[in-house]
Amino acid sequence: MSREFPKRRVVVTGYGMITPLGKNTEETFRSASQGLSGIDYITSFDTKGLPCQIGGQVQDRWLDEIRDPVAQRYYKFSARGLRLIRAATLEATEQAQTDKIAARERIGVSLGYHADNPTIEDLVFLHRFYNGNGSWDMKGLLQAGGYSYLNFLRRKPDVVTSMLSILSNCKGPNLSIVSACAAGSQAIGEAYRMLQEGKADVMIAGGCDTTLNFVGFIGFVLIKALSERYTTPEKASRPFDRKRNGFVMSEGAGTIIIEELEHARSRGVPVYGEILGYASSADAYRITDTHPKGLGAILAIRGALEDAGISSEDVDYINAHGTSTVQNDLTETVAIKEVFGERAGSIPVSSNKSMLGHTIGAAGAIECILTLAGMNQSTILPTINYEFPDPKCDLDYVPNVARTQEHRIAISNSFGFGGQNACLCIGKFDG
Amino acid sequence: MSQNFITEATVFEEVKKATAETLNIDKDSIKPESSLIKDLGAESLDFLDINYRLEQAFGIKMARHFILEHIEEMFGEGSAIDANSQITDKAVSLLQFRMGESFPELRPAMDMDEVPALVTVQSLTRGVLDILDSLPEKCSACGNSAWQSENSLRIKCGSCEEYAAFTNGDDLIKAWLTKVQEEKKIF
Repeated sequence: MSREFPKRRVVVTGYGMITPLGKNTEETFRSASQGLSGIDYITSFDTKGLPCQIGGQVQDRWLDEIRDPVAQRYYKFSARGLRLIRAATLEATEQAQTDKIAARERIGVSLGYHADNPTIEDLVFLHRFYNGNGSWDMKGLLQAGGYSYLNFLRRKPDVVTSMLSILSNCKGPNLSIVSACAAGSQAIGEAYRMLQEGKADVMIAGGCDTTLNFVGFIGFVLIKALSERYTTPEKASRPFDRKRNGFVMSEGAGTIIIEELEHARSRGVPVYGEILGYASSADAYRITDTHPKGLGAILAIRGALEDAGISSEDVDYINAHGTSTVQNDLTETVAIKEVFGERAGSIPVSSNKSMLGHTIGAAGAIECILTLAGMNQSTILPTINYEFPDPKCDLDYVPNVARTQEHRIAISNSFGFGGQNACLCIGKFDG
Repeated sequence: MSQNFITEATVFEEVKKATAETLNIDKDSIKPESSLIKDLGAESLDFLDINYRLEQAFGIKMARHFILEHIEEMFGEGSAIDANSQITDKAVSLLQFRMGESFPELRPAMDMDEVPALVTVQSLTRGVLDILDSLPEKCSACGNSAWQSENSLRIKCGSCEEYAAFTNGDDLIKAWLTKVQEEKKIF
């Protein structure tokens, strides 16, 4: 295989995550390679009466263990999202030793996040001063302390991105990506693009989301996106299995430090992998239904391969979006078959969401990192809860048990509601 | 009990209205036999919207789940949909029995993905009427039997002015399935 690198090469020099399976990458990867599930009954809010009562929570004690006085004063601007992404970012920046870089204007931030949801307490408080017909009792509201400006900031997805730049002192480009389930991948992909184009030397890229609260959760219940039929919580997320019936909501964050190769070399830091290509696309079809022939997904996958300058023959592993919804897993299978043709059946395809649930804006980032970690340990993470084959989903989904297998080039798919698609092409670092 | 306050024509008009508003199409283009997906271009989220409008109009609760999902839940996995994602013969005969008329699109071994396209304006109308027919004998609030119609869409107690409480769509489907199973022992 010969590859040319007309553009600047982009390598990975650090990563971090906090997920329902662990407080960092090592813990998460270890649990995932044992095929463990991070899904349980939700305790973060009262789910009584809801048809889905399970999710993947990040343990509060993991967040509490982090001693981070600098960031603490900013937590009021973001109830939970900032804490999650800060945890992941501390791990990543420490590994990549980004603090030692002098040219802070050459470090940027690119983050996928959808902001905190309004709390019920917020709504109830406001309701006291609203007459239902468009008029406010402004005097009463002010006497009661007024509506906090903090609520305004918490609803804005850009605030956490800017907080990260403040906390990590990064004065380079600052991007907030809002594209549902594709956000984490797009954040990394667009950051990679900036590095290729020389707009920065280092990018802190990733995603986070925290939707395990009433307002955040109920929307997904209403559109019937979540799994409602499960024997036990850990059995609910079953991508590509015939009995899959919706995804499982989770929270988490993932951060990756990507860097222009020569910059990383000049710093003498270890390199953990390479971003080889990226593309994004839109189904331009429907709000939640995926295109039945996976046209948007195909565009993204083909685009990423082309961007990487490789052919479908070169791909050793596919890190699937694999949400466990009836539609996604079918469409994704159709798209993989279309792109990879006869080889499709012999490429391992697995879904981390079988164990982690769906962390929405964080998913693409977490899955990119798990793919890199898997490559470096010659381990392909499994798709757990794969028990009943679906005749329409007939690829090698690495059922239930991790596989030891050398692999050098992978793609990671992320397909969002609304038909937003992203695909990253990831490579083991060849030097 | 079957109710005589809201006519089938009224319900049909209301289903047409909800469908037209949801899909932003001309009401006159909607026929009883129109498939919401195939003929009118609805997507899955549109069903939620149409149901919501009907719920608001009549003060009812439409079914959240297709009958096939209820069959699977009540009679065991594989009873309605087999390992090839195809509808079982038993489920097909049950559906034919429920539709009460010949449904050319409904055939054994059809793929479950094709089922949502079977929903027509007429079958939605039937669903609403079934729920309205669950009107209890007496008002659950005051115990009197003095139902009246309001604006030809809502049924109200003439004695205490409370709106009637109907059985929700999912419970009605389950009750129907239980009854049919007792009579015909299909599963």
